[in-house]
Amino acid sequence: MQASVTRALAGAALAGLAGWSLPVMAQSGCELKIGSMGPMSGGAAQWGLAMDGAARMAAAEVNAEGGLKVDNQKCHVTVVPYDSKYTADGAAAGSNALAAEGIHFIIGPVGSPEATGIKPILARNQQIAWNASYAKDALATRYPLMFHISPGPGGWADSVIKEALKHWTIKSVALVAPNDQGGTDIVSVDEVAYKDNGIKTSSEYYQRGATNFAPIITRLLAANPDAVDTASSPPGDAGVIVKQLRLAGFKGPIGRNGGPGTEEVLRVSGGMDVLKDFYWYNGAADTPQTHAIDTEYKKLLGKDQTFGSSLWVDLPAARMTLQAISAAGTIDDVQKVAEALRKLPVDDPNMGKGVWSGQKQFGIAQELMFPFGIGIIKDGKDLGVTTIEPKL
Amino acid sequence: MNEFLEAAIIGVGLGAQYALLALGFTLIFGILGVVNFAHGGFYMLGGYVAYSCVSLLGLPYPLAVLVAMLATGALGWVFELLLIERLIDDHLATLMLTLALYLIISTGVLAVFGPISMEFTFPVSGALRAGSIYVPRENLIVLAVCLVAIAGLYLILFRTDLGRALRALADDRAVGMALGLRPRLLFPAAFALATGLAGLTGALVTPILALAPGVGDPVLATSFLTVILGGLGSLGGAALAAFVVGIVEAYTSVYFGGSIGALVLFVLVLLLLVFRPTGLLGRDVRGA
Repeated sequence: MQASVTRALAGAALAGLAGWSLPVMAQSGCELKIGSMGPMSGGAAQWGLAMDGAARMAAAEVNAEGGLKVDNQKCHVTVVPYDSKYTADGAAAGSNALAAEGIHFIIGPVGSPEATGIKPILARNQQIAWNASYAKDALATRYPLMFHISPGPGGWADSVIKEALKHWTIKSVALVAPNDQGGTDIVSVDEVAYKDNGIKTSSEYYQRGATNFAPIITRLLAANPDAVDTASSPPGDAGVIVKQLRLAGFKGPIGRNGGPGTEEVLRVSGGMDVLKDFYWYNGAADTPQTHAIDTEYKKLLGKDQTFGSSLWVDLPAARMTLQAISAAGTIDDVQKVAEALRKLPVDDPNMGKGVWSGQKQFGIAQELMFPFGIGIIKDGKDLGVTTIEPKL
Repeated sequence: MNEFLEAAIIGVGLGAQYALLALGFTLIFGILGVVNFAHGGFYMLGGYVAYSCVSLLGLPYPLAVLVAMLATGALGWVFELLLIERLIDDHLATLMLTLALYLIISTGVLAVFGPISMEFTFPVSGALRAGSIYVPRENLIVLAVCLVAIAGLYLILFRTDLGRALRALADDRAVGMALGLRPRLLFPAAFALATGLAGLTGALVTPILALAPGVGDPVLATSFLTVILGGLGSLGGAALAAFVVGIVEAYTSVYFGGSIGALVLFVLVLLLLVFRPTGLLGRDVRGA
């Protein structure tokens, strides 16, 4: 499966790059391979493919300029994807597989189980990785080669809930997520944020891989909540949960204090009329600059980007990794690149100015925090995404 | 009380879906002695064929379901005739062949349709309601199709010459062939019947739940669990076990949560294998 994904993704992207890649390679002879990692099949595929799309776009940007300047040569950048399937063992195996190809820089993985699996072996494999998980231990001082793409719900859940309260009266909420670390960590942080806003909480967990959520829906509704929050349920699962909630007669707002994926939720649930009332963390601000990423993606890679704001959030990590490699002047000395990365300002041409956060929560400031968005759908109408500025 | 009734309704709905899946799986094992690891692949393919018919060709949904059933049945026929039939007595080889077919189907679907879920909805929506109790209309349709499929399979296997021939070959292939039965003609037919059922289930169930690459993975696990509980190769056992699995899953999940629900099912199968290894309605010895 992994090999097939590799072929499918690589084929399409390389076709778009072929026009300029051959002359550049012939000119310099330097090739830099970076990895992309995350779930690229199954219910969370959108997140993993967004990670891969971000890596490919960043690579295409520097290749369009003749390659990445490293020391006194220009390097052509290629991306090697790995489907880590949202599992710890998948991510660990992916790290080893990419290391075997001499890859030191990984854009990914996505989920908490994957981050848990890859962290301990990054030093051994001499790799820098960027996880996008919302785990409580997404970063740790003993894993200095791990960086974090964006804050977990501790950084934004409170703002999302406050925005939702402007539109609906919510006195109780039921949260639902998978029963692994990717679910329990996020739900526990979300619960604190809801309680801080005076909202009573209950939570339900399901086995990852479940397809029919009808029994879980019955349990959720038994608590008679005003709102249901799908937390970190993969977008595909969240879509089925929304569909079955509405079928069961639930009329309250449905929230998503978890990973982005509103487009997928909308598609699986059956559309705006079914989704009806929805609030979500958007990951990125909804501005002309962030939308310009989509235009540039199409121009560089020859196809529409279909991953929504997930790709916007992942892109700065890929860009900054390449900038750090260039600044360090090496594609092999990982410690030197990590040091250069930590010194880079958080300022992306599309995502805007941000900050290095994480010191307070993890004891290590290796987390990117940019302006983010909060989306609202009310009575089946998309009210747009409100921008929230980052603050430490 | 409402929760108790709701759990029963959910259990029957789940059972109908599981029965449709398990019937085809157990049919192939019962007649051919092959454990079909590609069963989930035919389920997924059925969903994608129906989706393509509706979204790309503009066919009405019922016709799309029929096309999905015929297409997966035809693929099953060809696969059995060209590959399985050559190695029918080598259980390991057939296991590997069907596993390979599953990988080919899932990879092909991923390459053609991409990893994102399709927007594919069941044409009948809503639910019949009585207070807080509700029965989704789509589940009633699946249940009706399931009952028709069980009855149809029973009629084919026990009331037609084709069924008698298939059962004769399953009991003792050498004697069956000596009497003029032709496995090269009959085994592909049985395989096609089973894969067609999987495709029919996929076309019916994926618009109710979700259609994405990977939806076949849990199908194999559920089918396996159900047919082991019912007794490998037993049609009646598979149908009975499917509803037992559905109802147990519903009650344990509703009363103890999603994690415990999954656990209880596997404990149930474990206990059954210890105390009644042949399953609920399985035989001691399977022929073919």
